[in-house]
Amino acid sequence: MSASSGPLLLQIRDLRTYFYSQAKQAFVRAVDGVDLAVFKGSTLGIVGESGSGKSITMLSSIGLVTSAPGVITGSVIFQDGDKPVNLLGGLPDYVYLEITDGRIMAVHKQQPQWMTRVRQNLKPYRGNNIAMIFQNPKAAMHPYQTIGAQIMEAIQLHTDIKDKVAARQMALNWLDRVQMDSPRLRFDNHPHGLSGGMCQRAMIAMALAAQPSLLIADEPTTGLDATIQSKIVDLLLELRQDLGITTILISHDISVIKRLSDDVAVMYGGRVMETGPAALVLDERNEQRHPYTHALLASTPRRANANAQGYLPAIKGEVCDNINIPAGCRFLSRCHAINDRVRDRCRRMEPELTVVAPGHQVRCWLRQEDG
Amino acid sequence: MAQFDKYKPVILVISRELLLTALLLLGISMVVFAILYLAPGDPFAVLLGGQLVSESERQALLESLGLPSTWYGQYFSWLGHMLQGDFGNSLRSGVPVAQELVSTGLNTLYLIVGAMLVTLGFAVPIAIYSVSREHSLATWLMTILTYIVSALPLFWLGYILIYYFTRQLGIFPVSTSSGSGESLNWLHLVLPVLLLGIGNGAVGEILRHLRMELQRVMDEEYVRTARAKGAPVWRHAFAEGLLLPITEMVAAKLPHLLGGAIIVEQVFNWPGLGRLAWQAALDRDYPVILAVAVVAAAMVRMGSLLHRFVYISVNPRASQEH
Repeated sequence: MSASSGPLLLQIRDLRTYFYSQAKQAFVRAVDGVDLAVFKGSTLGIVGESGSGKSITMLSSIGLVTSAPGVITGSVIFQDGDKPVNLLGGLPDYVYLEITDGRIMAVHKQQPQWMTRVRQNLKPYRGNNIAMIFQNPKAAMHPYQTIGAQIMEAIQLHTDIKDKVAARQMALNWLDRVQMDSPRLRFDNHPHGLSGGMCQRAMIAMALAAQPSLLIADEPTTGLDATIQSKIVDLLLELRQDLGITTILISHDISVIKRLSDDVAVMYGGRVMETGPAALVLDERNEQRHPYTHALLASTPRRANANAQGYLPAIKGEVCDNINIPAGCRFLSRCHAINDRVRDRCRRMEPELTVVAPGHQVRCWLRQEDG
Repeated sequence: MAQFDKYKPVILVISRELLLTALLLLGISMVVFAILYLAPGDPFAVLLGGQLVSESERQALLESLGLPSTWYGQYFSWLGHMLQGDFGNSLRSGVPVAQELVSTGLNTLYLIVGAMLVTLGFAVPIAIYSVSREHSLATWLMTILTYIVSALPLFWLGYILIYYFTRQLGIFPVSTSSGSGESLNWLHLVLPVLLLGIGNGAVGEILRHLRMELQRVMDEEYVRTARAKGAPVWRHAFAEGLLLPITEMVAAKLPHLLGGAIIVEQVFNWPGLGRLAWQAALDRDYPVILAVAVVAAAMVRMGSLLHRFVYISVNPRASQEH
């Protein structure tokens, strides 16, 4: 696996996504200041519980959060050849946030101009340089079109192949490439006629057919049978080796992240808690890791993780409330590693991401020197 | 053969639906016949200018018209003739009903098709606009306006239209007397079509349904995939988000339109099915009432068949459900 260095393909800086929740009558900070870097040719795994903001981070980055009262700020720099482009460029012009005592009171947003700008910014890249695959592929593919037609559409939109016959041949090649059983038969199937695993293969073929430089995989194995899951992971590994495609993999499944990622970012409460090379972040003997990462790894289903009763230890407590953000560390209420040395600081102030080893950053007072 | 296999499910479903339609029309004719038979009033009393008819005079009249004397005899005789395309003669005018049905039926068809296009012409653009620009003042105003217009009573709005456009401005003519030989042209149709299209209460309801469905489909995962893929979103959202809800509403609103047509045709003196039915009901002109009921039911049924057909042609799953 490649090291966490070299030229960047995507860099996310201080990304924030706020929604208005009708149910709670308040603004939810789904993503609250995320910084991420993806190196060319590498795979970044984003891991965290449901509600940690990992999917929203990537959906926001490529303008797929369409809900009207949603606000997205920050910058997402994508390297288009030699040219760096800010995918969120110009958007702050259309939003004004009223913040009192750290709480968002109101959002003023020029929705039509905002939407137009999002479209303008992303039109050259979505599906073309940046492709995305989703969880639940049976719902994510068009129910009325054959999978062949959907792959052909991607080819005709984003490659030089415009001719129908050639596009069809190309689509068949891609179905073959993703190891679809009898591609010729499956070509004319609709998503409802296929299994979840086959649908995900078709989805991967559709995403890769445009030959993107960045692939975003949002929980690609979630909801599939266990055996199918590992086959999809095998396929993604193989394709990455063949095509050298840069990948962002979002998953709550540590074992999937472990097999595919070069770098890992651990998210909690809309924040990155820890980031660094997979070898360091996911190493169980590494004492420098964040207590949350430690707890996540300890709760993955493995024989060694079982406790004396034979059960897996769960992380106690509820996922951080994204409306009333605590003043101190977001993980404080669930932290098992806290001690008297840091307790006071944990309550008062949120720690910054701090370098603990080359390329390895942790957001925890325990990992910082006194002072 | 492969071509046939592809369309086989569609053909099967459609032929089944047609068979059901035939049974439905038979049932409707029976019910209407029963209602007419049990209803008070008597066509002969109307025919004979309100004089009370004695039983012997009645039998003589029935015999002279060649009608069976029992109720079931009358029904089956009517049914037998109807199956051969003969709807009998109007008791009032003596003209063959089928002949009148064709001319009035076409007039009503122009009216309701035009009205439906007007309704959709308002509802569809507003629905699309308000989904693409949610929470804006313009969509709010348009919605409120639509609901207000939808709530206005047809007959009242009709007379207002006639007053302004015909009396004051003199733009659109209104046919003056029924069947006086004056030639009707499309200008006569403009006001009734506008009235029925805007005023029948359907715009608001169709708008609400279309907007809800379109919004639902725009939030579907596969539409998000289309966005992520860089494909035109409308290409993906059209079938489920617009086409199906529109045909669904057309089918659902046809009965309302036919009901509204009765009023509009009265107000504008438009020689359609509604006026024919109205006059026939006043005259107890049984053959005409029966025939209009069957034709109106067939029209409504055609609307739902259209929706069914569109549904199974766009949704590959639908034809496999049967």
